[in-house]
Amino acid sequence: MNTRAVVFDEVSKFYGEVLGVNRVTLNIPPGITSLVGPNGSGKTTLMNLMTGLIHPDHGSISVRGISPRNPEHLMRVTGYATQYDAAPRWATGFSFVTTSLLLHGYGRAEAEERAWKALERLSLTDAANRKVAAYSKGMRQRVRLAQAIAHDPEILVLDEPLNGLDPLVRARTIDLFRTWAAQGRHVILSSHVLQEVDVISDQVVLIANGMIVAEGEIRNVREEIHEHPSQFILRCRDASRIAALLFNEDHITEIRLNEDQQGLLVMTRDREQFSRALSRIALGGHKIEGVIPADENVDALYEYLIGGK
Amino acid sequence: MIHDSPGSGPRPPGPLKQAWTIARIELRRAFLSKRGFWVYGLALLPSLIFLGHGVEVKVRRNRLSAGGLTPAALVDRVSKGETVEDVLERLGRPADDQKWERRKRVRADGESASVTSHAIEPATEARYVRLNITRPVYSGEPTARIYEFEVYGPDGTANLALKRPATGSDPCTPEEGPEKAFNGSVSGGRSDKWCTHETWNAFLQVDLGSILRVRRFVLKHAGAGGEDEEWDTREFNIQVSKDGKMFTTVVNVTGARFVEERTSYRMLVYFDGRRQAYLRFEDGRLVSKQVRPLLDFEEDRQVFAGVFQYFYLRLAIFFGCLGIFMNLFRGEMLDRTLHFWLLAPARREVLLAGKFGAGLIASTAIFAGGALLCFAVMIWPHDPAEVQAYWEGAGMTHVFWYAIAAVLGCVGYGSVFLAAGLLLRNPIIPAALLLGWESINGFLPQMLQKLSVLYYLQSLCPVPAPMDKEAPPLVQLLLAPAAPASRVGAILGLLAVTALVLWLSSIAVRRMQISYGAEV
Ligand SMILES: Nc1ncnc2c1ncn2[C@@H]1O[C@H](COP(=O)(O)OP(=O)(O)OP(=O)(O)O)[C@@H](O)[C@H]1O
Ligand SMILES: [Mg+2]
Repeated sequence: MNTRAVVFDEVSKFYGEVLGVNRVTLNIPPGITSLVGPNGSGKTTLMNLMTGLIHPDHGSISVRGISPRNPEHLMRVTGYATQYDAAPRWATGFSFVTTSLLLHGYGRAEAEERAWKALERLSLTDAANRKVAAYSKGMRQRVRLAQAIAHDPEILVLDEPLNGLDPLVRARTIDLFRTWAAQGRHVILSSHVLQEVDVISDQVVLIANGMIVAEGEIRNVREEIHEHPSQFILRCRDASRIAALLFNEDHITEIRLNEDQQGLLVMTRDREQFSRALSRIALGGHKIEGVIPADENVDALYEYLIGGK
Repeated sequence: MIHDSPGSGPRPPGPLKQAWTIARIELRRAFLSKRGFWVYGLALLPSLIFLGHGVEVKVRRNRLSAGGLTPAALVDRVSKGETVEDVLERLGRPADDQKWERRKRVRADGESASVTSHAIEPATEARYVRLNITRPVYSGEPTARIYEFEVYGPDGTANLALKRPATGSDPCTPEEGPEKAFNGSVSGGRSDKWCTHETWNAFLQVDLGSILRVRRFVLKHAGAGGEDEEWDTREFNIQVSKDGKMFTTVVNVTGARFVEERTSYRMLVYFDGRRQAYLRFEDGRLVSKQVRPLLDFEEDRQVFAGVFQYFYLRLAIFFGCLGIFMNLFRGEMLDRTLHFWLLAPARREVLLAGKFGAGLIASTAIFAGGALLCFAVMIWPHDPAEVQAYWEGAGMTHVFWYAIAAVLGCVGYGSVFLAAGLLLRNPIIPAALLLGWESINGFLPQMLQKLSVLYYLQSLCPVPAPMDKEAPPLVQLLLAPAAPASRVGAILGLLAVTALVLWLSSIAVRRMQISYGAEV
């Protein structure tokens, strides 16, 4: 097994009846990886699984060879900035980060020094001694980032880290991600907008309804998505004849004949070529009564994922 | 730069050190949780009560000894039957002196106050008989009440007025009209009477129907109907008439038929510095003498034993640990801060140990501290010599075992509630179940009794709690269930129960998952 990667093997997680993620198999190499999907698609679920906050119902997870069931090993090399907004009541920005470092076994002096540096990187030194509970949303986001990076982890898991950051801090934070990734670390972040992360990511994982839709380098993913099969229903008289004609086209992946011989279900990888083929057939004298997209919801989802027009 | 040497953290801390770090951080929550300030009230309440008692005693002692102390021997020699003068002469000025008097009105001739009979000699002829009330009652209240007014002839058998037409002053209520005084009954309750508020010329009159010979009248007053005798009619007269216009007075009654009996009482209190003697005199002679210590150390220690067992062990520590320990995990789940701990590089068991440690330190400090403070406050007003003797005797051992019992109470209940907080969502149910379980412990079979915290704590207490011997056996069993004989056995048993419960908790904590919002 690759001990440099974060590996999900057939992982499923249910919250009672509700699906969290379903049969996820992933292999995330070091570098910046973005989990992208709409609300409720399962991004947080994946991150919580990876860090042991929740346990899978099926399958197994290994984070650089470490099981998330061993926080005493995993969390030494992992930093996780969660999406949970609450901080302990006692915590000031500084004590929040320091306390976390004390738990790592740093002496007080070093813990405080590291905490201060981490806060500095996120421009939080001014607010360091105020209660986290009284921070603004963006500041709480930053203090969680500071806590996640303070012990200098190999694997950074960041749930929507850019949410609520102003442009200046956002740019600095993205720079940080790049620096870390360049050192061979994992930076795994989530977002529900592909454009937000596509330029900075080495890999993207598109996720919807708890299932991985596409993964890989951003360029390939775009193409893959672009070419996702579309289904159409054709209403026509001589269905079997038209089916035979369409079958020669290489963008067609599947054709099913209706029982009444009056219709066809066609699956194509390329909608433009498909419509050109249809006009050719129509010009050839075959009567096509109607073309209906069979799966508009799926199309909308894919367009959303690639930030469609 | 921080990331010069990626991943090279400090040497991993040992689990003990890490648990201690966690405990130290958690102490803040355990001691100062906003949800949990009430535990301080619970822990300090008995101290406040004993403090009040102590202050009261001190104040009283100052007052009693203000006039000088009386030698104990003199007090002891006073005996019943002595006169006030004798006692005052021998013992001097008392610390307290109270006089009072009680007056009682008694019937001069011994007849019942509430039924009066008035004979006239010789018998006279009358058709109308009339009762005039001049002073209605003894207590001064302006209301006259007559339950029955009977008129007899010379043969004295038949009540001539029974059910005859009656008139009278305005009744107090429509139900209390004149006819009620002639209905032959007094036992029909408050409204079986004639009643009037009229004070000027209050009268009750009956028409016998024809001119008859009358010789005797019987009046049944308030007392005859079950009301206060003080309301019996005080001054009145009875008149008769043949035509309803010309009346002759035949009976005239004033309150002079009563005499007042007076008793004078006097209470002298003498104080010898420790004991107070209450001497009660009736009409100048000593009738009772009570000598009581102002403060009874023995008794106060008994009270403390009761407070410790019934209040601290059964209530304060039970509910205090409920509040402190159930919140360690559950509270953070509700606050949505638990992930902070689960993301620490620590085994879940270490986290459990750290949090348990924090809860233990807090609960022990609060409740063992509270109980010991209470003990100190209980001792405070007592005679130093007595206290000294106690310390030299059993005192230290008692304190030691009270402390052990309190600490082990926190250990036992703490672990149980920690587990409950991990395994269950709603704290009310386990609390109720556990309270029930502990209460019926005495009825359970031997084997199950051993799975109780109270069972072991009971036998660690140095002084058995006072128990009313009269109490029904059921209550006795509830309050004092069987307990293991030896203390070592009790401690080991309790620790075994705790270990079992903590082992269950460690399984639960390993399985625990963050699930914010799905709670409540
Ligand atoms: N604790 C929980 N109990 C029940 N259902 C849950 C719980 N947490 C998540 N879910 C469900 O699991 C699914 C995936 O949720 P998840 O939080 O992983 O989504 P997400 O991609 O992070 O969404 P978002 O962009 O809103 O953060 C959702 O349908 C959600 O309702
Ligand atoms: Mg999320």
